[in-house]
Order: sequence, then structure tokens, then C-alpha cells
Amino acid sequence: MPGTSELIRARRRQSLRRNLTAYAFLAPALAMFVLFLAWPVVMLFIQSFQTGGVMGPAKFVGLANWRQIFSDDLVRQTIFNTLFYAAMAIPAVFIIAMVLALCLNAIRIGHTPIKTILYFPTLQPILIAALMFTFVLHQDFGILNILMRAITGEPVNFLGNASLAMPTIAMVEVWKGAGFWTMLFLAGIQGLPRDLFHAAELDGAGPLRRFFELTLPLLKPTFFFSVVFATIVNLQVFDSVFVLTDGGPANATATTAWYIYRSLFSFNEPGYGATLSFILVLVVLALTIVQSFWFREK
Amino acid sequence: MKPNVTSISRRRLLQTGAMAASFAAMPGLAMRPLFAAEALSGSITMIKGPHSADEAKFEAMIINDFKSVAPEVDVAFTTYDWANMNAELTTGFASGNPSDVLYLVDLIYPAYAKQGALHDMTALVDSPDWAAERAHIPEFAWALAKQGGGTWGVPVLGAVYNIFINKDLLAKAGVLDSWNKSYGDMMEAAKKITGNGTYGFSARTRTGDFAFWDWLPYVHNAGADLLNDDWTACGLQGAEAATQFLIDMHQAGVTPPVGSMSTQEQFDLFKAGRIAICHGETPQIGELVANSPAFEWDVAYAPPGEKGQTVMGNFGILSIAEASPNKDAAWAFIKHWASGPQVGRFAEQVNLQVVRDDIVANMFANSPAMQKVQQDFVPRVKGIQPHPQILKMLQSIWPVAERAYRGELSGAATIEEMCGIIDGILKQ
Repeated sequence: MPGTSELIRARRRQSLRRNLTAYAFLAPALAMFVLFLAWPVVMLFIQSFQTGGVMGPAKFVGLANWRQIFSDDLVRQTIFNTLFYAAMAIPAVFIIAMVLALCLNAIRIGHTPIKTILYFPTLQPILIAALMFTFVLHQDFGILNILMRAITGEPVNFLGNASLAMPTIAMVEVWKGAGFWTMLFLAGIQGLPRDLFHAAELDGAGPLRRFFELTLPLLKPTFFFSVVFATIVNLQVFDSVFVLTDGGPANATATTAWYIYRSLFSFNEPGYGATLSFILVLVVLALTIVQSFWFREK
Repeated sequence: MKPNVTSISRRRLLQTGAMAASFAAMPGLAMRPLFAAEALSGSITMIKGPHSADEAKFEAMIINDFKSVAPEVDVAFTTYDWANMNAELTTGFASGNPSDVLYLVDLIYPAYAKQGALHDMTALVDSPDWAAERAHIPEFAWALAKQGGGTWGVPVLGAVYNIFINKDLLAKAGVLDSWNKSYGDMMEAAKKITGNGTYGFSARTRTGDFAFWDWLPYVHNAGADLLNDDWTACGLQGAEAATQFLIDMHQAGVTPPVGSMSTQEQFDLFKAGRIAICHGETPQIGELVANSPAFEWDVAYAPPGEKGQTVMGNFGILSIAEASPNKDAAWAFIKHWASGPQVGRFAEQVNLQVVRDDIVANMFANSPAMQKVQQDFVPRVKGIQPHPQILKMLQSIWPVAERAYRGELSGAATIEEMCGIIDGILKQ
């Protein structure tokens, strides 16, 4: 029989081998994470104390970019606009997607074509979506405005009105995103244990009670992923703003990501853009941490 | 300069060929080399925003002709997208291997010049062997290519921001001869015409449409400009009344609702006969010539202000990248591109203005409107001040004007707020 110390050594060797194997499998993903996520964030932080660096050598400017950000009214407005947009788009798309997912779950025959149709907007490039919505929203000939004129006698200036422009962009994004979230929620609902629902039904629980006391609590992991993912994506809203309004009217749809792009590429201010980007990273990180605590406590 | 991307018809191509032939026949402007460049060799690249869907074809003509000048130099042409020109050009410069020859508009080149991305061409354009050619480009155009003590390119093309008028609508309202005598007359004309889905007046209102081009002539006519004479502070003081006039126009209900239409949509409405006085730009003349609307139209400029009657225009220059390894060949190609026959033919092909004064008399023989713009409007042009942060200033102040056009600010408050933004940018 081998001695105790030999046994311990063998166990240690085995443990080391197991750990090394695990790290070897982790290494490619970890390398990608460091290369494409951690390192750029570190670089952003460094660049936030610099000016230039794209077409010539970078110059250290201390806290100048940070001071400028705190005195820039447009930064405050873009943060407000971004949060306002996210506060509209995320709940709206979740409610619509959940209703659609429940309806689809109830349909036993012929749901595949409906799913395809629902998912279709998600596949549209934003340029196509923007063009389509021109024909829907246009003041003169847009379908929605023809309806508005028939009902109220007056067309609505959807993208040119400072109060309506951001809700309109949120509407376009909800239209584009609803299909994706519907499929995600549907997959979650279909993965729930059926016997629990049968038991609740036998106990006399109605559809609403089953939804609020079974479906929603059981979908918590799906919701956690969805809320975090949707927050991250929506706080970076850029393409629809860039295509539909370019931040206008009067900066009413200027979002943080749009301002980062403008600082970097229109104004050639990489240091300022990097500072804004770093702030956006911090905001997203903070919200993700808050959400994870909130879901854990619940 | 906004692009005008249109296809070319066979008829237009034949016209273009005829025009090229007429240029070749002009005394002193025949398609012959203006300089000796046979000794040059190697390859260079040129990048430019497209002024036509046939841009590559038109550039190929210039490049082919260059072969007779510098047979050992190969020129590869590529384009950038106007909407993303800054992003694409910045990426090119950042790569360390940008195009050797760059077509840059006056709005963006100063920022690149300041960052050392462009070659200072002062010695090249001032060289005695090019003096005769240099003299054909007027000083106002050279002024736009100079900044920070250097000359950063050769001015070649310009786009004028004119007004399109529907003469039938103006005549019907009895204001055809009076509408642009004064701002008051323009307001009165617009009010008389507006109704039943027809608007009296339209100007760009959105930042994304570069709406400041339509506001600036009114500012210049008031004797003001974005910056003061030595570019150390805001120079908009004096433009309060002119800005108030444009606010009043938008508040009087004689324009499409503020922000409701893009510049193209406004022009489409003009083509449909539903706008009488429509701010636009000269490349759009091609659209009106190709598809004649069902009314008589003409080009015009804004009424006189207190200090003058100017026309807004912006210009494109041909620059050399500082990183170019073949600057001699790049300079030879720029001289060729900017020569009368080449730039004249190209300008006619894409409906743009030239800055050379020796070829204008023979240009646009088949387009009275373009001829009018070239001969009457261009001399009135007052362009932008090529400050390195001019684009940032214009894009940052325009949201204030958008609010003003909506009736949220007076002309005086608008100018005060704009000056606060401009002075803030200058201090950065």
C-alpha cells in the first residue's frame, strides 16, 4: 500500500492536472476577453487623460477631458436621453414580447409562419428599417400620418418634434427587437415544467394567477439575462439615432454612443471620445451590478 | 459639399463628349501637358467623395489623360462616403498609409492640416513654373485653402447654395419681380403663396442636413460671420435681426413644419410644385434639367441684407498627404486635375462650379441656370472661415437654431447662446 504522503502527492498531482486542463480550456476565451474587452477598457482609461493619438502622437493633458465632460451640457443631455430611451424601449419591448410569447405558446398548430413573420423585423438592417419608417411616419405621405389626418385633421411631426422624436426612435427599436425577445421568452416558457402548471390548474388557479405566480417567478433566470442584456444593448443605442435623426431635433435624440462617435470621427477628439466611452462602460457596469443584486435578492 | 449622386444618360454623355471637345478646341486650353512630368514614375492613390454615380468613369478620363503627361505614373482612384468622410479619412491617416492625393472640403481639411496629416503645399503652389496656372484661381479661393500659415491644397471645385424659385407660383401671386427685393418682400411673397398644401418658403432645418448653409448667407449679408476677424472670438454679433427674420419665416407657417423634412424631401416638394422659394444647392440643378418639372423655374439668391448680398458656397481642394511617399507624382497629378480642360470637363459632368476664372465663359453652354450660377453667383460667394474647429462650431450651434426656428428663442437670444458655445470651443 502506498504511504499517506505519497497518496497526498498523487492527489495533488491529479488536482494540478485537472486545474491545468481547466485553465487550458479557458485560455482561448480568456485571451479573447483580455484582448478585446479588458485591454481596450484599460486603453480607454489611459486615453481619457490624453489628446490626439490617432493621426499623431498622443499628448498627456491630465484631467482636462474629465473637466470638460463635467462642464459639457450636451454630455448631461445625452446621458438623460439615453436613459430616457432605455426606460421606454426596454419595458415596452418586454411587455410586447411576453404577450406575443404567451400567445404563441398557446397556439398548437401553424405557429411556425407566425414566428417567422415576428422575427423578420429583427433581421432587417437599420437602414432598411429607417427607410420603411419614412413611409410610415412622413409628415406628407406617411401611412400613420394619413391615419392621423383622417382622425385628428392634423399630421404629426414624429421625427421633427423634440418631444416625439425619442419615443419614435424607441418605437422603431421595439418593432425591430420584439421578434428576438419573443423567441427568447417563448423558449423560456416552453422549458418550464408542465406538471407544475397542470397541478396549479387542478388546484383551480386561473390563467392570470398561473402567469403571475408560476410563469414569471420560474422565468427569473431568463429575465435576469434579458434585463442585463437589454440594458447593455440599449444604453449603446446608436444606429437608429444616426440614421433617423442624427441626434436632432435640437439634440433631443443625442445619445451617449452617438456623441462618442461624433467626438471621435466628426470632431477628431479621441481623448474626449475615450472619456465618454469610459463613462458609458462605468454606467453599464454599475447598472449590471445593481440588476444582479436585485435579482439575487428576489 | 453635399453629393449629387445621379446616373448619366446617353444624351448627357454625348453632351459631355462635345463639351470636352470644345475645351480641347479652346486656345491655350488644349488637352496638352502643362508641365513636364515624363521623368516621374511609381504609383499613387487618390481619394474623393463622389459627385456622381459615374464618378469612377469621370476620374478614369482624367487619369487616362494623365498618362500622356506622366506615362510612368499609375493612379488608383477610390472614393469615400460623404456622410462618413471624417471617419474614413481619419482611419486612412491613422493607418500611416493614406491616399497620396485627397479631395477635401473646406469644412474638414483645416482639422487635418492642424494635426500634421497634410503636406504644406505653399512652396509648390508658389513655384514660378506654375505661376500662370495659379493666377487663374482667384484669391478668395486661395484664402479658403490657407490656414495657420500654410497652403493645404489647390482649390478646384465649389458648390453654391442657391435658391430655387417656382416662377409660375410667384407670378400667380403677383410677386415674381419683387419677392427678393428685401426680407419683408420675401415674407410677403411667401405668405401670399402659402395655402392648400403649398408652401411659400423652405430652408434646411436639420443639423444632419448641414442646415447652417442656408442660414449663413443671411448672417453674411448682415456683415457678421461665425468668428471675428482674427478668429479669436465669436463674430455673430450683428446677425440677430437676420436670424429673427428666419425665425419669423418659420413661425409664420409659410414653411413645412420645422424638422419635418430633409433637404431632399423639401426639394422633392419643390419639384412637385408645392414650394415657391426653396433653398437648395447647385448639383440639384441637374435633377431639374433631367426631369423638367411642370412649371417654369429659375435659380436665385437671398435678398440683400444690411451689409451686402452674398451667396454661400463651399469648396473642395486637392491636397497631398504628409505621409505620401511620392509627393512629386502627387503634385504632378494635382496640377493635371486642376488644369482648365480637366477640371472644366469634370465640373460640367457633375454640375459643380469651378474656381478658375479662365474657363467659366465657355462652360455650361447647354444649361442657362448653371451658367448663371457660375458667372453671377460664384463671384458673390462668401465661404466659411477655415478654422480647425469650424465643423464642431457649426454642428454644435445648430441645435440652438433648431430651437429658435421652433419659436423657443428670439434672434438675439439665439446669437447670444451660439456665441457662448463658439467661445467655449475656442477656449478648449
